[in-house]
Amino acid sequence: MSAAGLSPVVLQLERRPGPLRLQIETALAAYGRPLRWAITAVHHPGAGEAMLQIEAVVLNGSGGA
Amino acid sequence: MTTTATPLPTLLVIPTGIGCAVGGYAGDALPAARLLAAASGCLITHPNVMNGAALYWSDPRIHYVEGSSLDRFAAGELLLRPVRRQRVGLLLDAGIEPELRLRHLQVADGCRATLGLDIGPVVTTELPLEVSLSLGASGVSWGQLGQPQALLEAGHRLKAAGATAIAVVARFPDDPESEALAAYRQGSGVDALAGAEAVISHLLSRELGVPCAHAPALSPLALDPDLDPRAAGEELGFTFLPCVLVGLSRAPDLLPAAQPLPTANPAAVIGMDAVGAVVAPAGALGGAAVLACAERGIPVIAVDNPCLLNVNAEALGLEVLSAASYSEAAGLLLALREGLAPAALHRPLPAVAAQR
Repeated sequence: MSAAGLSPVVLQLERRPGPLRLQIETALAAYGRPLRWAITAVHHPGAGEAMLQIEAVVLNGSGGA
Repeated sequence: MTTTATPLPTLLVIPTGIGCAVGGYAGDALPAARLLAAASGCLITHPNVMNGAALYWSDPRIHYVEGSSLDRFAAGELLLRPVRRQRVGLLLDAGIEPELRLRHLQVADGCRATLGLDIGPVVTTELPLEVSLSLGASGVSWGQLGQPQALLEAGHRLKAAGATAIAVVARFPDDPESEALAAYRQGSGVDALAGAEAVISHLLSRELGVPCAHAPALSPLALDPDLDPRAAGEELGFTFLPCVLVGLSRAPDLLPAAQPLPTANPAAVIGMDAVGAVVAPAGALGGAAVLACAERGIPVIAVDNPCLLNVNAEALGLEVLSAASYSEAAGLLLALREGLAPAALHRPLPAVAAQR
């Protein structure tokens, strides 16, 4: 069983059509299990979809004791 | 004003560590929570709203649910079962000095003797938890834990020993001369401790599936004659623990939604299908609980509560009911509870649109 570790993550995520929460949690899953996250800024760099800034802490490894 | 309408379960979210004018300090959103509980008849909210260190308020209409559990409740993964009492285990960081540790044990004894709470056992982590503080790219308070495994192992020991809820006390770094602390105490800064506190309670709650909340252990500060009233609750004693013990003492059980309902009093269990509104700061709508509610079509009441963020309804493309204050939000909740369309309370009132 590997030890649990925590990592901070900052992501820039282009918003796609559909539910936002799933898009964010899917993107964060690449880094670990999301423990705490929030959209902390929304930018509109051009005519396209908005860019979301996500700040998070994710859990890596096993949490069990 | 009284109402005969049935309660309207409502979520109140005021994210921690983002410098909210209301709720960014020492439990200073408690008056708003009490008002919203009166208006809705059932308020589900998190420790950042309720915890005023030595100050607290217990109201059977308010359900104290740790932030990540609140997110999971909003996502439909958890149900809440109100209880008469919890047995609150106390988890102490091995990094707390003996005198400060004794202060916390005496708070636990005081809550047993004076409030009649069921507290124990007490477990100490095998290693110091090594809490560190940081700010994110946005200026939001975050934080880290050097020994998360030690926290989890102690939590498992408490649960195995019969604790049904867990109060965690971690040693936080003292920084009495910092500009950030001075700004916070004078009412113009972010609570630098809040992010790490959230990480600790989120980790334990998510892994153990029981109510959890956190109090930081810190050395006492020198008297500040310019202390902002919103921060004063944290300067009344030697610890921040009393509010956590009181909040957890009647925090609802967390039930996995995928499992069958308990046979004893299943009608008392609260699920997301019963929730009628969520109340959140207008600039901080980008959290998991608010988005989950919006995706379910639950009315979002966005309150003007200045903070570091500007993640508002327009930026996210959400439809919300706007409120200039928590007093106005209480009026909107009462309207929803009574079955009134909030639009009917505004002027001008456009004519109904007829379809061909």
